[in-house]
Amino acid sequence: MPDSAGARRPYLQPLSRSWWLKHSFFLRYMLREATVLPLLFFCGCLLAGLYSLSQGESQYQSWLAFMAQPWVIALNALVLLASFYHAKTFFELFPRVMPLLPAPLMIAGQWLGTIAVALLLLWLFGAIG
Amino acid sequence: MEKTIIIQRYNPEQDQAPSAERYQVPFDHSTSVLDALLYIQQQLDPTLAFRWSCRMAICGSCGVMVNKIPKLGCKTFLRDYPAELTISALDHFPIEKDLISDMAVFLDHLQAVKPYLINDSKNTEPHRQTPAQLKKYQKFSSCINCGLCYAACPQFGLNPEFLGPAAIVTAQRYNLDSRDQGKAQRMPQLNGKNGVWACTFVGFCADVCPKHLDPAAAVNQGKVASATDMLISIFKP
Repeated sequence: MPDSAGARRPYLQPLSRSWWLKHSFFLRYMLREATVLPLLFFCGCLLAGLYSLSQGESQYQSWLAFMAQPWVIALNALVLLASFYHAKTFFELFPRVMPLLPAPLMIAGQWLGTIAVALLLLWLFGAIG
Repeated sequence: MEKTIIIQRYNPEQDQAPSAERYQVPFDHSTSVLDALLYIQQQLDPTLAFRWSCRMAICGSCGVMVNKIPKLGCKTFLRDYPAELTISALDHFPIEKDLISDMAVFLDHLQAVKPYLINDSKNTEPHRQTPAQLKKYQKFSSCINCGLCYAACPQFGLNPEFLGPAAIVTAQRYNLDSRDQGKAQRMPQLNGKNGVWACTFVGFCADVCPKHLDPAAAVNQGKVASATDMLISIFKP
């Protein structure tokens, strides 16, 4: 029986769980989002350090010893790399959300700001000058 | 010179799901994907269904996935691809037949943001606009409603209720227009849970936009507008 509504049978395209593996653009996006995972480890370390400080010197010394282990240093190096990658993507997205100045200027400005703050902190903690 | 075009065919009267068919298509430097589809339809298989109209990236009809990337068929050339390329209907939309998608969801979302000038003034004089006022919205005004950004947006794929890139760009285009007074009517749509905040700035929409109008920027500028709107509504008596 002819039925114009019944003749339609649109195919609904399923979205697979692995949609983000489809091409490199989505992979880079997921990498950006995943930078939070190593950062969680760093935050845990920092909180443990603060807590150990409140528990007295021996606790603090054992936290320092924990932090000096090669695998902890390696993980924290990964944290640093992940943070740089996240910063790079963030700095590039920011001028698109708030186009105050030409994008290259804003990106350079944010990196300069990061370097300035890093130098200030290094100086405060006596690592330089 | 020939290339192999693999097309995901779907016939709603016979098929349960799309399946691939291969065609050999001659090409030269100027052969577009749309030319190739027309060649297949006219020379090899008249049952192939696809949409097209202007051939010059103005009408926005011929959007398809080319090697899993949303593209306008008329603006994509065989010369830029290896010996084989795969063409399928736009992602995230229901497929009516072969390369024809059902764009109704997108059109509903577009309509929801009232994509036209709203102005209650009885003034019949022309609305003057300075170059600076024009510049505010001009970059968002060239949307051709091709839907490529929806096929690129995984958030729309996960939640078809999400207003999506083009509708939000268009809302921004009118909100930023000095002649328009409809912002208050559009903000509830943008502020809602399927508005700007459903975007996670994947940013792929900006890469695939054939008009280079950066929908991702518009959506995220919309977040600034939405937050401002909320703050103002809190402090307004």
